[in-house]
Amino acid sequence: MRSIVGQVSAVSPAVRGATIEVRGLTKRFGGITAVDDLSFRVEPGRVTGFLGPNGAGKTTTLRILLDLAEATSGTCTIGGRRYRDIPDPARHVGAVLEATNFHPSRRARAHLEMLAVQGALDASRIDPVLDLVGLTADARRKVGGYSLGMRQRLQLAGALLGDPSVLILDEPSNGLDPQGIAWLRDLLRHLASEGRTVLVSSHLLAEMAQTVDDVVIVSRGRLRAQGPLSLLTSQSRSSMRVRTPERPRLAEIAHAAGYAPRPLGDDVLLVDGATPETLGPLIAAHGVVVYELVQVSQDLEGLFLELTTSMTAQGAPVEMAAR
Amino acid sequence: MTALPRLVRAELFKFRTTPGPWVCVGVAVLLTGLGVTTSFIVGHHNVVRFAAPTTTEGLRRLVGAGYTAAIVMAPVVGVLCITTEYRHRVLTSTLLAHPRRRDVLSAKVLASAIWGLFMAVFSFAMIAAMGIPLLVAEGGSVPALLRQVGPVVPGMLAAYLLLAVYGMGIGTLVRNQIAGVILAIGLTLVLEPIVVGIFSSLAHMDVNFLPTRATQAIAGGLAPNGPGGGDTQAGHVLLSWWLGAIALVLWGVGTAVIGYFTTFRRDVT
Repeated sequence: MRSIVGQVSAVSPAVRGATIEVRGLTKRFGGITAVDDLSFRVEPGRVTGFLGPNGAGKTTTLRILLDLAEATSGTCTIGGRRYRDIPDPARHVGAVLEATNFHPSRRARAHLEMLAVQGALDASRIDPVLDLVGLTADARRKVGGYSLGMRQRLQLAGALLGDPSVLILDEPSNGLDPQGIAWLRDLLRHLASEGRTVLVSSHLLAEMAQTVDDVVIVSRGRLRAQGPLSLLTSQSRSSMRVRTPERPRLAEIAHAAGYAPRPLGDDVLLVDGATPETLGPLIAAHGVVVYELVQVSQDLEGLFLELTTSMTAQGAPVEMAAR
Repeated sequence: MTALPRLVRAELFKFRTTPGPWVCVGVAVLLTGLGVTTSFIVGHHNVVRFAAPTTTEGLRRLVGAGYTAAIVMAPVVGVLCITTEYRHRVLTSTLLAHPRRRDVLSAKVLASAIWGLFMAVFSFAMIAAMGIPLLVAEGGSVPALLRQVGPVVPGMLAAYLLLAVYGMGIGTLVRNQIAGVILAIGLTLVLEPIVVGIFSSLAHMDVNFLPTRATQAIAGGLAPNGPGGGDTQAGHVLLSWWLGAIALVLWGVGTAVIGYFTTFRRDVT
């Protein structure tokens, strides 16, 4: 894979992306509601992480956005238009949905040639994008012999073939090695810096924390939070991690004081919503023996867990101004 | 619909770059070779011998030696055209490139028809390469054979083309590749003869609008071991060639349209 900085012949500079807008989206499969009145916006020039636990409705939302599935109600638009109404959409929107949609007997280069023909794309970009994703040497091999990481890179090559102003990527780092993940991070940051719209779903929260500007967090098909990552993490609740031989007793004390303590191990308790200033005096007042008292800073993972694992998960979504 | 030519090109590109359609061509050529061989087997007064066909019917059987290949392999090509998309999930990239599914299906119908014709060309090449030397070696008349080209070849070309479209329709309905291939071959070789037999013996009806019988009508009454060249076969009345063509078009387009509304418009998950 080639370095992004200094060589971007496969992607054109100064491309203005389009806003992705999801409004009141609902999708039901029989009696199951996969997406429930979901609304969010994705702005150009920023990398937006689309996060949620398994079954949160992320892939379903992306598939509706790309017209691969029909919404029960609500709308999804890219630049104000439905995907199907965009002329030659592959020239404007590049998508990576899964690493399995290849014919195993087709060679990688032939796969991209096929995409170029059916998407009315410039076939002269095939070699540059193969070079960009580091598949030039393997371009004449059949895809059936590719590793998962190579397939993922081929998917990325296909998404970039049309030099799109909007990129929609579902778990694009699946199968990539650490070097590949770092490369992907640089690529997405670079594409967004050019003004393109980048929407990426992933379950690798630590990686996403280093990549995204904005997040959209969903759980059980509903929006849990939306906004710049820095704002969301700075304004979310902090927690205290306490190591104590009196874990059950401290849990009762914290619970009586109105906190929601969670055991993390035999002698470790996590007290959500507490600070050193509030929990310290409480512990002292009850004479609880403490080995360790640590404030847990709220990172993306903490925010994600807080928003998606609460028993109710029914509260109003947290929304922050984009800028 | 301005995208249709490039979508057809893309479908033909898919055919060219995967082994399934080429295997179909190979099997069609082999079946055609078998057809050529059997057309030299002449039976007379319980004596079977290998000899050049001399009658009009015999010569037509030689020119139409690709008949079995057509009725077996052309539908399979059509089935592969659509079911490969589901089996390998290529449909996702197809629809991302062009989300209007009616256009995509139309392109597949046309591409299947073109690949059907492509198979027919290989089949006729096999007949020429194998049949003519055998005919000459057995003392047969090449000019007499060539006089049967006009009456037989257009019908055979139409049969290949329309049967491939018919297979595409079956594939659209079924989606599962193995089930589609089994159904396409099973309908032709097993179910249809049973249905024809039942209606013939119980109701004295000629169910001559079914795909294989319609193909026989188009191909001028050609059939494996059949008399050929007439409007009847084994005592059954066939449709005229143009009614047969209409019947086969309706089978192909009808199944594709039903498949479009019942399965092809479904969510791609």
